[in-house]
Amino acid sequence: MADYEERQSLLGDEDKGRQAAEAAGGPGRPLPAICDPGHLLHRIVVLVFMCFLGFGSYFCYDNPAALQTQVIQDLDLNTAKFMQLYAWYSWPNVVLCFFGGFLLDRVFGIRLGTIIFSLFVCVGQVIFATGALVNRFWLMEVGRFVFGIGGESLAVAQNTYAVNWFKGKELNLVFGLQLSMARIGSTVNMNIMGWVYSKVAALVGTPGHTALGASLMIAGVTCLFSLTCALVLGFLDKRAEKILNKEQGKTGEVIKLTDVKDFPFTLWLIFFICVGYYVAIFPFIGLGQVFFIEKFNFSPAEARAVNSIVYIISAPASPVLGFMVDRTGKNVIWVMVAVITTLAAHMMLAFTFWNPWIAMSLLGVSYSLLACALWPMVAFVVPEHQLGTAYGFMQSIQNLGLALIAMAAGAILDTRGYLFLEVFFCVCICVALIAVVMLYFVDYLKGGDLNMSAADRAKLLKESTSDAE
Amino acid sequence: MAALSVELNPGWPSPLPPVGDLLHVRAVGDNDTLHFLFCSLGAPTLLLVHTNSSSSTLEVDWTQFLTRKVSGSLRVEPESSILQSNAIVFSRLLEYDDVNNTANPTSDFFPPYDLRDFTWARLNLSGASALLCGAAATFANGSLCLKLTVFDSEGRDQILPRLLHSANSSQVEVWLDGVLPQATRSRFLLELQAVGGAYPLSRVEVQRSIDDEFTPSIFKVLQWLPPLNRTYGGSGFLQWKPVSYRQFSPVVEDGTPAQHSPPRPQSCAEESSGLIRAFYAEPETFGLNVSFGLAGEPFYNSTRFFSWTVLLGVGLPPMDSFSPAVLIMMAVGLGTPMILLLLGGVCVCIRKRASASSYEPIN
Repeated sequence: MADYEERQSLLGDEDKGRQAAEAAGGPGRPLPAICDPGHLLHRIVVLVFMCFLGFGSYFCYDNPAALQTQVIQDLDLNTAKFMQLYAWYSWPNVVLCFFGGFLLDRVFGIRLGTIIFSLFVCVGQVIFATGALVNRFWLMEVGRFVFGIGGESLAVAQNTYAVNWFKGKELNLVFGLQLSMARIGSTVNMNIMGWVYSKVAALVGTPGHTALGASLMIAGVTCLFSLTCALVLGFLDKRAEKILNKEQGKTGEVIKLTDVKDFPFTLWLIFFICVGYYVAIFPFIGLGQVFFIEKFNFSPAEARAVNSIVYIISAPASPVLGFMVDRTGKNVIWVMVAVITTLAAHMMLAFTFWNPWIAMSLLGVSYSLLACALWPMVAFVVPEHQLGTAYGFMQSIQNLGLALIAMAAGAILDTRGYLFLEVFFCVCICVALIAVVMLYFVDYLKGGDLNMSAADRAKLLKESTSDAE
Repeated sequence: MAALSVELNPGWPSPLPPVGDLLHVRAVGDNDTLHFLFCSLGAPTLLLVHTNSSSSTLEVDWTQFLTRKVSGSLRVEPESSILQSNAIVFSRLLEYDDVNNTANPTSDFFPPYDLRDFTWARLNLSGASALLCGAAATFANGSLCLKLTVFDSEGRDQILPRLLHSANSSQVEVWLDGVLPQATRSRFLLELQAVGGAYPLSRVEVQRSIDDEFTPSIFKVLQWLPPLNRTYGGSGFLQWKPVSYRQFSPVVEDGTPAQHSPPRPQSCAEESSGLIRAFYAEPETFGLNVSFGLAGEPFYNSTRFFSWTVLLGVGLPPMDSFSPAVLIMMAVGLGTPMILLLLGGVCVCIRKRASASSYEPIN
């Protein structure tokens, strides 16, 4: 690709990094590996902070679900009102995270942007908890709204950071790890918040909105922790930039909002895959429990277990699959495998009485594989200065798709039943499949590097680096 | 397709008999006739007689018929043309106090309601369907209603559970509306008796179906059939889905399971139903209970309504199949990527060929 060197990853390859480090630290005094931004060991340290950057927001996002009965009881709500806590998070994000991504690229820059979004997450959670503390539901909604402004955009920032540090290296693995971190965050939340609440209630004396508010404040500590990660990451990134003289590589290009219409066709295809795929996963899992009870005669507990297996599998599987994609390259093929496997799983659920453990486990593996292989592709088709906007846009239309399809799915289920719903999800997956097939050919005909094997990619990187020097 | 002719109280001279009504629907096919007989003399009964002649007729000796004591007072002639007959008697309504909310009817039963002791209103006819409502003395304003519909072609109802029916079947919808339960936690059961001549319906078969398009979230069909060795294309059947509804115009959320007990031989159908007494000399009867509700779900008192629908027919029970919408969606969904893959493959091949041949002159 012509503009490859312009947007060559932040760090160059390791040799170059070492030279730069020596230049900065004076001759003959190389930095120890763990402090050397060019070294794998240092990248691992960065990775740890990067993963925990999102932990707080993932943990607190599902606080209402983990405390559903308590929230409804303590604040005297009904389920529809309770669901508004999620609506206030999701709906604004149909547009907000697009602007979040744009602001990252254009105004704040990645470092400041990340810190600002982390602050929003913290403040939002504190408002949310305060609302519970003083028993004002509207204040809780405000809190969720502020939390949402930060939360989704923080995910965009996290993706952008990952590309800056890991493109051309362990990028797929990093995306896999971030997914598994998100899963771990919400799983830990689900399992620990009830316990926290009961302890706080014992301390306060009675369960009630005070105990609820206090527990949510405690949950907010994870957001503070993530904010700390954002600060540390900002520092490390700044330091790496100085040591590696990264500024050189910049072309001074800035993104304009109108650049969105000039996004390459391949990026739009990636968006299509993203929407088509995820709308067939999340809304299905939301409605899945009753399906397993009715169709497969599962007990409610069993149904809950089989429904959550997708997320449970994705926590350990996604780093492993990410590593595999890193080793082999060929992202488009992996995405295609993931989409076809998901289609097969949905068809199994729709047209057979086979044990749903099979289909749901397949779904878990393919969901993880897709996350590792799809999201990094964005970094190969847009220049670096548009990255935040591209990820923001992707997140935005994913949110839009999910919100619309979740409503449609409920309506379909009520009028046409589960078979029709499953067929509808299959069609969504087929749309994603069409987009993957087109992506494969478009990339092939353009001679793009989306589907390059890992070895070719390394060769290309080496060539372009030597050209640059 | 079948031609339907509907006749109320055939052969009765004056406008209406003193008690009970007899509805006769004749469905004439190419070379057979189905006689659907619906009677409110005693417990409500639906009798289906299948004959192999398109000219078989019904003979009723009304004076004997009304005494409810003599077998043979109602005949289908000629008798040799009868292939098969089956009847369903809605014999009793049972109520129990579900103190622990387990929906497991084993104890705490209130005295049962015998449907033959109900006061039944006159049959209300409209087209090929008939509405029969009745009440026990203690029902206050409530009533138990049965709506019979006979069909001349295949199709399905617009309201849930939207059972598929054929021209060889009739549908009975039963509902209990506005009855004051004897306890706030009351649930109900309905006792059904299947009566047959030679081949009584003796076993209930559960069919699982992947297709819940017409009855959302119900993946089972239940069929009450003759013994295995007696099951053939022309035998009778009762078919229903294990769901009842808590509202008159239900949506999916109003659904609640309808569970059935295994069928057991019984001996008293002719006692309760005038029609059975009149038609059968030695009826064979099997009975079962259908119970409405599930542990943890609302009690009858919440809406004071439940409805349940069953088909009685001959031949093969109708089975749901995929709707055209499902087939088209799957075909288009799976077909388009395949075609695209093929087209793309061809495109790439042609390009490769072209570029390969353009190199040749250089050689």
